[in-house]
Amino acid sequence: MTIRMPASDQAVLARRDDIVAALRAIVPGEGVIDSAAEMVPYESDGLMAYRQPPMVVVLPGTTEQVSQVLKYCFEQGIKVVPRGSGTSLSGGALPLADGVLLGLGKFKRIREIDFDNRVVVTEPGVTNLAISQAVAHAGFYYAPDPSSQIACSIGGNVAENSGGVHCLKYGMTTNNVLGCEIVLITGEIIKVGGKSAETSGYDLMGIITGSEGLLGVITEVTVRILQKPETARALMVGFAEVEAAGECVARIIGAGIIPGGMEMMDRPAIHAAEAFVHAGYPLDVEALLIIELDGPGIEVDELISRVEAIARGCGSTTLQISTSEVERNLFWAGRKAAFPAVGRISPDYLCMDGTIPRGKLPEALARIRGLSERYGLRVANVFHAGDGNLHPLILYDANKPGEMDKAEAFGADILRVCVELGGVLTGEHGVGVEKRDLMPEMFSEIDLNQQQRLKCAFDAQGLLNPGKVFPTLHRCAELGRVHVHGGKLAFPDLPRF
Amino acid sequence: MTGGHVETSKIRDAGDVEQAVRAAIASEQPLEIVGHGSKRLIGQPMTTNALLDLSELNAVVAYEPNELIITVQAGAPLADVLSLIDSKNQQFAFEPINTSALLGTPDIGTIGGMIGAGLAGPRRIRAGGARDHLLGAHAVSGFGDSFKAGGKVVKNVTGYDLCKLLAGSWGTLAVMTEVTLKVMPRPESERTLLLRGLDDATANRAMTAALGSPFDVSGAAHLPASAFRADISGLADIGPAGQAITLLRLEGITASAVHRAAALAALLAPFGAADTVQDTGSAAIWRSIRDVKPFAAAGALGAWPVWRIVCPPAAGGALGQALSRGTGGDVVYDWGGGLIWAALPPKPDAQAAVVRAQVDAAGGHATLIRASEQVRRNVDVFHPQPGGLARLSERVRHGFDPKNILNRGRMTRGAAT
Repeated sequence: MTIRMPASDQAVLARRDDIVAALRAIVPGEGVIDSAAEMVPYESDGLMAYRQPPMVVVLPGTTEQVSQVLKYCFEQGIKVVPRGSGTSLSGGALPLADGVLLGLGKFKRIREIDFDNRVVVTEPGVTNLAISQAVAHAGFYYAPDPSSQIACSIGGNVAENSGGVHCLKYGMTTNNVLGCEIVLITGEIIKVGGKSAETSGYDLMGIITGSEGLLGVITEVTVRILQKPETARALMVGFAEVEAAGECVARIIGAGIIPGGMEMMDRPAIHAAEAFVHAGYPLDVEALLIIELDGPGIEVDELISRVEAIARGCGSTTLQISTSEVERNLFWAGRKAAFPAVGRISPDYLCMDGTIPRGKLPEALARIRGLSERYGLRVANVFHAGDGNLHPLILYDANKPGEMDKAEAFGADILRVCVELGGVLTGEHGVGVEKRDLMPEMFSEIDLNQQQRLKCAFDAQGLLNPGKVFPTLHRCAELGRVHVHGGKLAFPDLPRF
Repeated sequence: MTGGHVETSKIRDAGDVEQAVRAAIASEQPLEIVGHGSKRLIGQPMTTNALLDLSELNAVVAYEPNELIITVQAGAPLADVLSLIDSKNQQFAFEPINTSALLGTPDIGTIGGMIGAGLAGPRRIRAGGARDHLLGAHAVSGFGDSFKAGGKVVKNVTGYDLCKLLAGSWGTLAVMTEVTLKVMPRPESERTLLLRGLDDATANRAMTAALGSPFDVSGAAHLPASAFRADISGLADIGPAGQAITLLRLEGITASAVHRAAALAALLAPFGAADTVQDTGSAAIWRSIRDVKPFAAAGALGAWPVWRIVCPPAAGGALGQALSRGTGGDVVYDWGGGLIWAALPPKPDAQAAVVRAQVDAAGGHATLIRASEQVRRNVDVFHPQPGGLARLSERVRHGFDPKNILNRGRMTRGAAT
C-alpha cells in the first residue's frame, strides 16, 4: 500500500468505547459492529489491494438514524466513510482506522414506482439491477449498467457517477438521476430535485452525483426509467490491426450512428475471454469490436447493414452479425467476463480506467504496449471504444516482491498518457484513493482549490470520506480568502469604454 | 442595470477576465456578465454599473465532428456555432431555446449565455439539458482565478462535476471563458403526429402514453385551443386555429421514423386519429414550440408576464388547467407536461402567489421568465427553495464568489444590497 491516508486522531481512538456506546444508542441491536472479526468484510472494497479495518461499523436503517449518526460524529469531530455495496474499483469506500464506516446496506426498499412520470424512487442500498427488474414487467429499465450491476447499489452509483456499456447512447448515472435525499455531516436532511426534469436553482444533483461520498450521505434516489428498445442486435468484427479497428469506431460515429454499445478488446483480452467463456471469438485478430444497435427492428436492420459496410471498408478480417438473442448474448459473454477471464491467467491484475479522445485509440494502445515492455508486465486491454474509455488490465503477481508497486507505477503512467492525449484520469470508476495522487496531472492547484471550496460548502470540517479524491486537503478558512493582487487598478492595459 | 454611467470592460482573453474580476473585487464593484445581452431581461434586476462584455471572446477553438465535441469561447455567437455544426449534420441535442421572440430582443445570443441560462427545448425529454452536454469549461471565479472544470471527452468522472453547476447558474458563480460541448448527429428524418381537440388533462394522458411507449418520442407538446392562434409562426399550416392540438415527434433514420410514427398513431388511436407532418414542416412546428412563439413579445399576449414551470410530467395537465382557469391565462405544454409555459394576465406580482402555491403543491418549480423590471423587483424570479437547500446553495455560491461580484442578485431577491 503506497498511498498515505490522513493521520489517525489518537484522541478519537482513545474514546472508541464511548463512541461505540453512543452509536448503539442511536442504532440499536446488530446495527453497530465493533468486533475485529465481524468488521473484516468491511476492510476493503473492489480495490482489494488496499485494506484497513475501520474503528467501528454502523448500519443505520432509517434516514433519521443516518442523521443522528452524522450529527454525533460532526459534534465529536469523528471521520465518516460512507459505503454502499463496496464494489468501488477506486477505493472510494476504503475505511479509516479512526473513522466510522457508515454502511447503507439496510436501505433495501424501492419506495415508489411511478410509470406515468417514468421514475423510480428508491432507497440507496437497492442494487442497480434490482431497479431494472422491478420495472421490467412493464417494459421499462434503468439504463446505466455498470458491469457490477448485480451487486452495486444505486446509492454507490450516484456517489461514483457510474457508467457501463450502454452509456454511450443512454448516458451515465448523472444523466439518469433526477433527485435525491442527502444527509449532510451536520445531520441536516436536504431534498434535491424530485420527479421533475430539472431541479430549481443551482444543479446540486449534478455535483452530488460523482462526489465520491465527500459531500453527504445519500438516503434516497429518484431515477429516470426508460422503455426497453424493441430489439437489439450485435456485430462482432475482427481486425488484423488495432488502427483499423480504431478507424472503424471513428467512421461509425462520423456517419452519425450512435450504437447502444461499442466495445473493443485487444489480442490478450480476446484470448483470455475466449479461453474462459468460449464465446467463439476469433483468435487470429489483433482487435475485436462488439457493436450493438438497438431500437425498432427496421432501424436496427438498416443500421447493422450500414455498420457492416463501414467495418468492411475498414478492412475487417472477420465479421459476424447476431441472428438471435442467444447469439447476441454470446458475443457479449466474453466481453462481460473479461475481468474474471484475465483473473484466471494472472494471480493479480490492476484495472485502469482512463478516457481519451476516440481518435487517439491506436496511439494510446501503442504507448501502453511500449510501457508494458518497459515494465516487463503483461497488459490486456478492454475499451468502451465508443466513448474512448480504456480499461487496461495490468497483470502482476502480488507475491513477487515489488511487483505490485511496479504495476501501480505502470498504471499511473497509462493515466498520464491519457491526460497527455487530451483525456482524463477516470471515465467511470472514480478517483478514490487509487488516482488521488495523480489529480495534479490533470488539474492545477487553482482547479483543485475551486473543487475543494465546493467541499467546504457541504463539509467545512472535512469529516466525510477524507483521504479520497484530493491529494492535499486545505483548510476551508484558507481556501475562502480572497487575495486581491496589486491594489486597485493594476491592470492599466484593460480597455475601458 | 440602473441608469447613469455604465462602465464596460471588453474582454479579449481569460487573463482580461481575471484582471477585470480582481479590479471589481478591489473596488467592491459588482459586474454584470454579458455576451450579446439577449437574456438580460431575465432574472432579478441587478444594481451594477459595470459590464463585463465577453462578445469579443468569440473564437471556435476546435471542432472535431468525429469526436462529437466542439470547444468554443464563451462569447461565440450561438447562431454561427449552430450553422457550423449543422454543416456537419450535427446539433446540440438539447435544442437550446432562442428567447428572442419571447423577450422581444433582436439577438439569439452567445454560447456562454446558452449555457449560463441552461434553457433546453423539446428534446430535453430524450437527450437531456444543457447541463448534460457541457463536458468542460474554463472559467474565472469570483476569486479572480481562472480554473478548469471537466474535460474534453464525453466520459469523465475525475473530480467534482463543476460543469453541472455552471450550466444554469446565470453567471452568478463564475465567468465562463471557454466551453467544450457535446454535439450529436442530426436525425436524418422527423415525423410529427398531430392529435386534435384534446383537453389538457386528456392530452397529458396521451403524451404520457407516448412517452411510456418504446417508440423513442423526442418531443411531446400540447397547445390548448386558446393558445393556438392563427398567426403563430411555424404553426400556421397545421390546421384551423382555435382547436387544441397535441404534438408528438419521432426522429431518426427515415424508415424508423416512419415505422414508429405509424406504431405510435396506432397506440394513440383511443385519443383520436392522428395527422402526420414530416421533416421541414415538423421542424418548423418544434422551433415554434421551443421558442414559445404562442407567447411572442410581438404577439397578442406580448404584454403578459410569462412563467416557465417545470414539474413532474404527469402532473402537468392538471396544474396547467388549474393555472389557466384560476388566472384567465394561457398555457403551452412541452416535455410531455413536464414543462409549462404560462402567460398570465398582468398583475403587480405577475400572479406569483397563485403560481407558486399551485406549483409547490404539484412538486414543481416556477421561474418568471418574462416580466417588466418593476414586476421582477416585486417577486422572486427564481423559485424560492426550502431553508436548508437555500442555505446550502448560498454556501456553494459563496465558494465560487465570496464577495458577490458576479451578477450580484440576479438569482436571489434581496441579495442585491
